[in-house]
Parts: sequence; C-alpha cells; structure tokens
Amino acid sequence: MSSAVSRFIGGVLSRQAAASRLLLGECNPAVQSPCFFPVATLKTSAPLRAEPKKKKKVDPRREQMMRERLKKKLKKLERVPPELIPIEDFITPTKCLDETRERIPPTVSFEESESRALLLKEWSRYKQKQHMAEVEAIELALEAQREALEELKMESEELYRAALKPDPLLLPFTHEGPAYTPPIPNYDAPDGKYNDITKVYTQ
Amino acid sequence: MAAPCRKMASRSYSQLLCCFSRTAVGSGACRRFSVTPIDRATPRASTAADRATSPWSLMAAVCLQRLPVITADCSPIEQRFKQMLQQMELEKSMLSDHELRLMEDAERMSRRQADDYDSDEDLGDQEIMMTQDLEDTWEQRLKNFQPAPRVRADVDEDLTSVQRCLTDSLVLLAEQQVGAEKLWLLPQAAWQEGETLRRTAERALDSMTAGVRATFLGNAPCGVYKYKLPKAARTESSVGVKVFFFKAILVDGTPGSAPTAPLLWLKKSELQKYLKPAYMMNVGRFILNL
Repeated sequence: MSSAVSRFIGGVLSRQAAASRLLLGECNPAVQSPCFFPVATLKTSAPLRAEPKKKKKVDPRREQMMRERLKKKLKKLERVPPELIPIEDFITPTKCLDETRERIPPTVSFEESESRALLLKEWSRYKQKQHMAEVEAIELALEAQREALEELKMESEELYRAALKPDPLLLPFTHEGPAYTPPIPNYDAPDGKYNDITKVYTQ
Repeated sequence: MAAPCRKMASRSYSQLLCCFSRTAVGSGACRRFSVTPIDRATPRASTAADRATSPWSLMAAVCLQRLPVITADCSPIEQRFKQMLQQMELEKSMLSDHELRLMEDAERMSRRQADDYDSDEDLGDQEIMMTQDLEDTWEQRLKNFQPAPRVRADVDEDLTSVQRCLTDSLVLLAEQQVGAEKLWLLPQAAWQEGETLRRTAERALDSMTAGVRATFLGNAPCGVYKYKLPKAARTESSVGVKVFFFKAILVDGTPGSAPTAPLLWLKKSELQKYLKPAYMMNVGRFILNL
C-alpha cells in the first residue's frame, strides 16, 4: 500500500513537474533540467524512509508454516515408543554362566544308562495306560449325563430347560488341592518374614 | 510358585456365562448339546399335563464327594522313576550357592590345618556361621515341627468318619426305606411340584445330614437310574421311578450333627459291598476315582 501511495505521489508530482515544465518550457526550451524530476518525485518524507514496511500477506503465512514444520519435527522426536519392560525369566542371570559352578560330569556306567532307558520306556507305557483309563472314565461319565438329560427331556420339558440353564453362582469355584500332610486342627501358623526384592518397572 | 495347587476358574468365564444365560433364557439352547429350539408356543398347562400322564415318578439324589486331602503314595514304578529323575537332574545341574559355600569352607579348613598357615589370611571374624552349622540349625527347626500323621489306621476303619482314607475321594451313602426294605443308596428325595430337580437334591442332602456345606456342580443331572416297581405295586399312573443324580463337592469337613439316617463314607472300591449290582453299575459310571 505504501508502494502504491509512493507511486501515486510520484505520479502526482511528475504531473505537477510536467505542468511546471510546460510553464517554464517556453522560457528555456532547449535546457531541460533533470534536477527537477528527482527533486519532484523523490519527495521522501521521514515516515516513508524509516521502516522497511514490506509486510506482504505471504509473510505471516510463511512464518506459520515454519512453526508448523518445527512442531512436526518436535512431535516426531517425541514419538519414541515406550521402553519395553524386560522379562526377567528370559534373561539368563550371569550367575548361571559362571564356570566355577560347573559340576564334575559324573560317569554313568553302561548298565546304568541301559536301565534308565528301559525305565523311561516303562514309564511311558504306564502313563499311557493311565491316560487312556482317564479318558475312558470321562467318556463314561459324559455318556451317563447325556442319557440322564434324554430321560429328563422325555419326562418334562420345563425341568429339562431348568437343567440346561448355567449356574451363575458356581464360578469362580476354588478348592485347595491335596498337600503332603493333612492340616493340623487349630494350628496357628507363624508369620513368615521375607524381603520382597521384586523389581517394579514403570513405563 | 503354585505350592498349594488350587483349581480356580476366572471371573471372566463367569461373566461369559452370565451374559450367555441372559441370551439363553429365551431359546433354552445349551452350548454343549445341539438341541433344537423348544417351541415356546406350548402353554404351561401342557407341562403339568405331561407330568400327569407320565407313568414315571421322579426323584433326585445327590452324589456328595469328599475329595482327597493328601497326596497318594507313589506306586513302585513311580518311586523308581522319581529317584531316577532326581539323579539325572542332579547330574545336569550346576553348583548352587550353598554348595559353593560348603566347598569354600572345606578349603579354608584344610588351609588352616596345613602347616604353613598364615593367620593374616583369615580376614578377621568373617565367617561367624559355618555353612555346616547353618544346615544343622535348619534340621533342628524341621525336627521341632510335628506335622499331622498321614495315615491313621483307627480312623480309616471307621466308615462313618469323614476323615478316613485321606488319599482317596469318598462318597456319601445313606440307608433309606425304599418300598418295603431298607437299602443303602445315595441320599434321595421325591420331587415335588414347583421345584427344580437340583432343589430336590439339595433338600435330600439337607434332610439326611444337617449343616453339611456342599457345592453343587451345575443344574444338570450327571446320571439317571430308572427302575420299575414290582408288579404288585404297579398302578396305571406309576409304573416306575426315575432317579436323577446330581454331583456335589463337600466344602468343609464338618459332618452332620445328629443325622437322621445312618451315613457312610465309602471309597469307590467299597461301594460294591453296599449297593445293589444294577444300581452300582449305573452309579459307578459317573463316580470318578480321579
């Protein structure tokens, strides 16, 4: 705007200068003093000279874009994934790699190794029989239940439907499994002392 | 980590069941059994009519089990295998801290007893406790603790005690009047209108024993035994009886105070002596000895 104003002023001044030249031209047609033009057009006032008011519309946009670019770069830097919590069980502790801890490898005689192999085979046969017996027992029980439900259905639909409903109060069901010795009646167990050294990680 | 082994089901499964029951109430279909959706158009009166026409009278019984309290003894092959495994594990293992300490102590002792012993080596009063002394204190403490005996022969003989045979699972039997004779059966009661069969079974248990807490495993029966009444007692409306069995697990060991009927706690192998053969064959299917 200031440039337009200055151009306008310059135009006005040049028109004025032209007018004055026309007036003065009759006196000195040959000499055209060039000093008129600069004096007339370059009538720069103090405010016009002081600041380089080059406030173009593009500049604030450019600054904003610079700022956005910087912010994006900052975000990229900040987008570091959180450090994974190490799984303690998967890291072999250095104590185990210590060579001084190795046992003297014991010699196993031929008979001993043979008997071990035979015992392993016997054990696998024993376990297989046990497993098959378990599976059979479970199948018998399932069959018995199926028959019971069939009979109930033949009897009454309502009772059958009631029997099929799941029991919400059953779960969660807990039961203490067998221990080595039975519980001592009225036993007051002493409080155990322990130092909890588990490492707690925060992400 | 899992020193006392506990069978526990998670809360999420119960939530799944809850939301499933909300959806299943309408259709009555169960996940395990492929059942065609029941026709809801039949009015309730017809079910009562069904019951009236059916010649079978219903009863519900409870198969109450006391699960094993202590681990069973190892069979011979199990013992041999256990020993062999321990030996093999020991051979493959590395020396533990305790063993290293023992070795160091032994070395130190041998160095001390050597002729050229330099007392400066012994850096002050380092080892206040020799490792051997530690072991001795631990053994002493173990001896001071008296665990309860695993097997007590006198209690095992008593068939009415719930503390007998702690290594096996026991089943409750009650002597009941059936028809003209007294028989040993799983506690049963006759079904009444307006209650589910499981409620009948719970009533049977409460009437036979008092104050016994049991967890019933689900609403579905685990077995059925049907028998026809002797020809003399048969009428048109009642030809026979169907007994539905429900499984329950004993929660605490307090036996019923002043039970109304004589009760017995028996192992599966002993059931044969007390139950009728046909009944035993039927009941033996769902009493698992695992």
